[in-house]
Amino acid sequence: MTPSLEKLIWRVLPAVPAVVVVVAWAIYWQIERPPPSIIPSVADVVVTLFEQTLSGELLTDIAASVGRLLLGAAFGIATGVAAGFVAGLHRPVSEFLNPLVIFFNAISGIVWLPLVIGWLGVGSALATFLIWNTVFFIVFQNTVLGVQLVPEVLEQGVRTLGAGRWETIRSVTLPGALPYILTGIRSGLGFGWRALIAAELVGANTGLGHLIFSGAEYHRADIIIGGCLTIGVIATAMDRWLLLPIERRTVRRWGMITDAQGR
Amino acid sequence: MQADKITVTGFRHFFKTEGGDVQATGSIDIAIRPGEFVTLVGPSGCGKTTLLKAIAGFITPTEGTILCDGKPVRGPGRDRGVVFQELAILPWRTVRRNIGHGLEIARVPKAERDRAVARLIDLMGLAGFEDRYPHELSGGMRQRVAVARTWAADPEIILMDEPFAAVDAMTRLTLQEELGRLCATTRKTVFFITHSVEEAVFLADRVLVMTKRPGTIKAVLDVPRHDAGGRDWDSFTSDPEMRAIAEQVMHLVHAERVA
Repeated sequence: MTPSLEKLIWRVLPAVPAVVVVVAWAIYWQIERPPPSIIPSVADVVVTLFEQTLSGELLTDIAASVGRLLLGAAFGIATGVAAGFVAGLHRPVSEFLNPLVIFFNAISGIVWLPLVIGWLGVGSALATFLIWNTVFFIVFQNTVLGVQLVPEVLEQGVRTLGAGRWETIRSVTLPGALPYILTGIRSGLGFGWRALIAAELVGANTGLGHLIFSGAEYHRADIIIGGCLTIGVIATAMDRWLLLPIERRTVRRWGMITDAQGR
Repeated sequence: MQADKITVTGFRHFFKTEGGDVQATGSIDIAIRPGEFVTLVGPSGCGKTTLLKAIAGFITPTEGTILCDGKPVRGPGRDRGVVFQELAILPWRTVRRNIGHGLEIARVPKAERDRAVARLIDLMGLAGFEDRYPHELSGGMRQRVAVARTWAADPEIILMDEPFAAVDAMTRLTLQEELGRLCATTRKTVFFITHSVEEAVFLADRVLVMTKRPGTIKAVLDVPRHDAGGRDWDSFTSDPEMRAIAEQVMHLVHAERVA
């Protein structure tokens, strides 16, 4: 296989499942003709998305949702990494925090909704809280693990070069824990989307969650499916063009993660 | 008579385990002079790494005192560089930035740092690999970077814990010769641990032989140098005086074999 052909295959491969699903959906709809309020046709969804784009409604909702997601995720990542470092470096802190983290992690974000509406009202603060509540735990637990898994010999080596506590954390612990931190951020963002949409279904007047909820009220399956497609496409794009390049330039470049050959 | 660089007096160490204390070493006394290359050879588990870690400052001895330049050791410091058996260079730093790390921590200006790094890259045969990451290098190359990193920080004392144990036999011979030459040009005080008798004699001004666990120093042998440069394996293997010392050490070590 020529290198350019191989490159092309690697580029095309991720798009194949999406094409397969859409084609299968179109064929099924042609044969079965289900009621559009249950399963809409591909064309209906595309037209709806197009109309929403033209009216500017879709872009407004995307902007609202992405803004909330980034705000909540930024809080979640910052606090998760910071708390994860403190807990990973100090045994007493992790002993103290672990039961709390497991306790609160078991309580789904939706449970908080009725309470938090009372505390924060309906709007961005509510969504931000629910996203933080999801992202924090995932990033925290991954960071703790990453910090604890940095080989001791790397820290010892740098200390014999004269490094103090901060220099050791900066030049050894932080990059050493990075593969786990990045994994935490990647899965945290995914679950963050789920929390966001849940929050917007009831607790917002804008956003993709609100759009989907309004579609449900009018039995408009095309709006619901269109909203889901939009969420999925944005989440995939963020992962591929925001997080994957960071991973490629750091932990992959450093040889810390490689694909298993498994032959 | 110059003062000793490293003095270990009445050193004994116990590890705390669930089943009670385990004695790692017997009572050990060592004195190493400035500029001397001392190797310590002994069977696995005799406590040689424990002793080295105590001198490095990573563990506090249960009993006894350790002085470096007359001052008691309290934790690791840049006066005592360590080359570890495991890979201890940082995977996220290139060869150049790993070697320059100690100087970076000491806030040495970049121009001066670059000069020192370039010199060590040259001395250790790493030219052309400056911008590679450790995972792109062979095992032998990585240990060269580890040695260069320690030398670049310019500590007066260097502690080496079986640094070539994980390297293939051919590369090991080259690395041993290179280390000998490096020491001849830089005059560091080196304390080197190994379980290879040949390596211990080849590199040393003085060889210490340890008993099996709990280890104590069983014998001390001087290895005379006839010229200032490092030794090479060709003349070492054909030198009857060196053969005699190696044989003597071999007998001492074999008596301590762990079944």
